Amino acid sequence: MLNESTIDPKIIEEILKFSKNVIEAPKFASAPDEINLEVTPHKVVQQIDKTRLLYYKPIIETKHKTPLLISYALINRYHILDIHPEKSWVRNLLEQGFEVYMLDWGTPTSMDKYLDFDDYVNGYLDSSVEYIKNQSSIEKISLQGYCTGATIATAYTALHPENVKNYIATAPVIDGWKDTTVMSNLAKHMDVDKMVDIIGNMPPEFMYYCFSVLKPFEQGIEKYIKFFKNIDDKKYVDTFLRVEKWLGDTPPIPGELFKQWIKDIYQKNLLIQNKMYVGGELIDLKRINMSMFTQVAVGDHLVSPECSMPLHYAVGSNDKTLKIYPTGHVGMIASSFSQKKVLPEMGKWLAERS
Amino acid sequence: MQSKSSKNSAESPNDITEYYKHVSLFWTDIMHLMSSKPQALTSIGPMRSFAANSKKISVELIEINETLLGFNQYLTEYYKQLADVWGIAQKKVNLKSPEIPQDVEHIEAVKRVWIDIFDNDFTELFDSKKFGENYGNLVSKELELTKHWNNITNVILQSANLPNKEEVDEVYKEIHSLKKRVSKLELELTKEKRKNAK
Repeated sequence: MLNESTIDPKIIEEILKFSKNVIEAPKFASAPDEINLEVTPHKVVQQIDKTRLLYYKPIIETKHKTPLLISYALINRYHILDIHPEKSWVRNLLEQGFEVYMLDWGTPTSMDKYLDFDDYVNGYLDSSVEYIKNQSSIEKISLQGYCTGATIATAYTALHPENVKNYIATAPVIDGWKDTTVMSNLAKHMDVDKMVDIIGNMPPEFMYYCFSVLKPFEQGIEKYIKFFKNIDDKKYVDTFLRVEKWLGDTPPIPGELFKQWIKDIYQKNLLIQNKMYVGGELIDLKRINMSMFTQVAVGDHLVSPECSMPLHYAVGSNDKTLKIYPTGHVGMIASSFSQKKVLPEMGKWLAERS
Repeated sequence: MQSKSSKNSAESPNDITEYYKHVSLFWTDIMHLMSSKPQALTSIGPMRSFAANSKKISVELIEINETLLGFNQYLTEYYKQLADVWGIAQKKVNLKSPEIPQDVEHIEAVKRVWIDIFDNDFTELFDSKKFGENYGNLVSKELELTKHWNNITNVILQSANLPNKEEVDEVYKEIHSLKKRVSKLELELTKEKRKNAK
């Protein structure tokens, strides 16, 4: 039995230190609301409905002729790709001499519940590509899609291969039946017709629930213990709060888009079988015949590698590369590892083809 | 013909609900028929409309009870599944770390074991078919409750001569369709202009 004499005084010391850190936390850390997630300077060059096309100001002289458009995911916001000056995906690409555009899908309201895949692929994404083509006087652009943004970008690339010179798919959601994540299990048992019919858009609160069941103890308890333990580490606290703020900011997903995504990707798995239709047109992945670069993370608990990798084998490209990284879904795009390994490799590949 | 009220030897909760639904409908219908003529003078006022629609509210409220029964059943199963896994995971932790930690390093090690085992076991649960199915049913029942609530709100909106959810949805659908057509035309125009400029 535990008695007074056997207690290590260090335990008491640790408890007191931890309590002190919790009490003094507001002295060391900003409130998430006070943190500005807009890191790299940019301007809005086109706005259609609630979507915005962002153009990032070049940091050095542009070295490559073909600009890059990033199609961010439908979950959370694009800020994760520019979360911190030292871990910014966008900034790194600018430093490598690329011209970078980002498509911000905005925050849909009840009025947008009828927006579907066709609106996103043949509407917002196509308009952005046309804008960049006009602006740069070129015929083709480089396109990168991340997570569900890569599902949209894949559909676009298959329907409009004439507009895409290079395609980069980062953790794309492609083969729903092979996805081994908890998200996929929940999606497979969802009555999505009923959900969209009754509540319209997919509410953020539901997304938060889905995220909360992913590594619940590591993410729900241990993460915050570490935060308070390291409260005097300015760099750690800053990054932590930025990522937390990003995690807590997810817009609703338009009902019709969500419905098609869940049914066609997770429940019927149509995309990888070349049976999915967008705007009345069949998505044939063999039509993706440009240079292609696929990035997956072995530790991805949101989109498993088994769900992403089939894209590499399904496309019609002769020039294609598959990179598998020992990191996670967010680690692949916003970490020291992504700065040291993922971005230099992607930048080298893209530079040779831009 | 045997009336619904006469076969009310209600054994199951469903029979009881059906019985009360019938009684409620019977009396609201009869009252409505009996009182409709004298009310003719106020037929354009909100109370007349509300009275006519109160029957719908009664039906929705009765059906909410039915849905709540199902919701509670799935909710109980949901917490049972969580509690069962918690118990199993805690036993595994106890087996792996039977001693009460006495120093900081030991506490850290036990915490790591606890988190790893709990994360693994709960992820296994969340990934299982039984959890997926029950959670799907739970959400489905929650949506049905929302639907009843929406229906009640619609009746109230109608009685106040305001557009209800379905009518607003029709407008949204029409706006979406118009916007889509305009966007496609604009995009085509941009592409055409570009082609001609070459």
